[in-house]
Amino acid sequence: MIDKVKTKIQQDPLFGYLLIAPIFIWIAVTLFYPLLRAIYDSFMNIEFMGEEGNFVGFHNYVRLIHDSEFRGSFIRTLIWTGVNVFFQVFVAFFASVILDLEFKGKRFMRIWILLPWIIPVIVLATIWRWMLDPSLGIVNYVLRVTATISSPIPFLGSTDYAMITAILVNTWRWFPFYAVMILAALQIIPTELYEAAKIDGASFFQQFQHITLPSIMPVLVTVILICSLWAANVFDMLWLLTMGGPGTSTQTFPIYIYQKGFQEYKLSQAAAAAVFMFLFLLIYGTIYLRNVTMETE
Amino acid sequence: MNSIGKSSVSIVKYFSVILLLLVIISPVYWIFVSSLKPTPELLQVPPTLIPRSLTLEHYYELLKDTNFITYFLNSIYVAMGSSLLVVILTSLAGYSVYRCRYKGRHLFFCMLLAIYIFPRVLLLLSLYPLFAGMALVDNLLSLVITYVGITAPLNVWIMRAFFTSVPTELEDAALVDGASRIQILFKIFFPLAAPGIGAVAINSFLMSYAEYLFASILIVSDQYKTLPVGMAQFLQQYEINWGAIAAGSVLIIIPPLIGFAFVGRYFIKGITAGAIR
Repeated sequence: MIDKVKTKIQQDPLFGYLLIAPIFIWIAVTLFYPLLRAIYDSFMNIEFMGEEGNFVGFHNYVRLIHDSEFRGSFIRTLIWTGVNVFFQVFVAFFASVILDLEFKGKRFMRIWILLPWIIPVIVLATIWRWMLDPSLGIVNYVLRVTATISSPIPFLGSTDYAMITAILVNTWRWFPFYAVMILAALQIIPTELYEAAKIDGASFFQQFQHITLPSIMPVLVTVILICSLWAANVFDMLWLLTMGGPGTSTQTFPIYIYQKGFQEYKLSQAAAAAVFMFLFLLIYGTIYLRNVTMETE
Repeated sequence: MNSIGKSSVSIVKYFSVILLLLVIISPVYWIFVSSLKPTPELLQVPPTLIPRSLTLEHYYELLKDTNFITYFLNSIYVAMGSSLLVVILTSLAGYSVYRCRYKGRHLFFCMLLAIYIFPRVLLLLSLYPLFAGMALVDNLLSLVITYVGITAPLNVWIMRAFFTSVPTELEDAALVDGASRIQILFKIFFPLAAPGIGAVAINSFLMSYAEYLFASILIVSDQYKTLPVGMAQFLQQYEINWGAIAAGSVLIIIPPLIGFAFVGRYFIKGITAGAIR
């Protein structure tokens, strides 16, 4: 009897479709329509948002390739994303190892480590702009007192430092999120494995190489993928810290597209850049999943 | 020898725990004490690590001279509205994806994950003309509609841990007793999966409460601005009023802190269960 009912509920597709219908429609309107529309717009010549345009084929894409600002923002997106992923995963790993230790208050720490992540970006940007201020900021003060530097560093106001400073601030915001994910993988490693390894005389690094790393590898693969896609997409943090400046020194793709679209109102050009970025992430994601997940499996 | 080795290990251990704690907490501590220092002390070099005198003047100034309260209420409205809708949409969808069997289920789930790739600024390029056509620009509804669309897909994923852990036997028993499936959903399933719903609620609340990109374009007039956009104006002024902006920062943090204190551990369960499969 129960089995019969069970099969009935599981195999009635209408109920299942009915339940996903609302979210499906919502996603279609707010995500898939905009994507298709942007692709369409990128083949038109809408020079000012709100105007009608004509079909111009790949003209906007050709123009992008000849735009040195676009090429620059492409390079900066690669640097921003690559360094962010490296720092975030690196720091997250160490943080997760620390959180995996036995210490007083570990339950509390394992939850509240996410503090930088739950604080709104506008507040984070405020905090760091205040702390990194050349004349009033505590960071410059500490560096000067400890005689590390002789004159104050305009961390966010100089083309030399703005990129790396923004990367470090963004790392501070995101590493806890990934640390929590890696920690979960560390926690399910059976302790017997380490005990057996110790009896066999394995060194700390051998244990790490042969037990820890293989166990957390699947999570690391996921983390690196999510981390790179999210880092490439960061807009709020960069915009509120530097507005892409000084000059164009922190202008990544999202900033470039935002400026083209909503400050110059060149819709078609912005759409072409956005579609380029989408395709780039899509190809990256596909290649990554295909190669890396195959290797680890 | 052995006990010396042990205690040095534990010193290293506590040193690294405290270092991690300091990295996390000190910037937040700094903005908090800054908001309480009187202006001369706030702007003095060297700065005082522990304030010599405390004042609420910045809070008073912020609430009296700026539209902070309006921004605050707008943000709460948008965040509550979005998270309520996200909870409804994702619990229905989550039940469907994890509990029903039908064609295209896997495809639908993959589609939800593919949304990681969508650049948000690309969505904004097309949503802005769309909302303009529907006269929804400069209307908080446009933000709610957008935030639900962006946050819902990933939250289906977060529900996974909770929805797969509710025993199916309970549903089967209720079915045998003649309960309808809608009844089962609301009387048995959702109450048992409540922690998952809490995790989803906090996640979409945090995102909608803090979102800047869409809010900076879709909202024009001051009376509809949300906190991130309202506060960003203060940051973009030539002479930044650090006292008031520090006070505002502290006030902005409070709702996320309260929400996270209640359901933070469920949220962590949600994101980690997604990572380890």
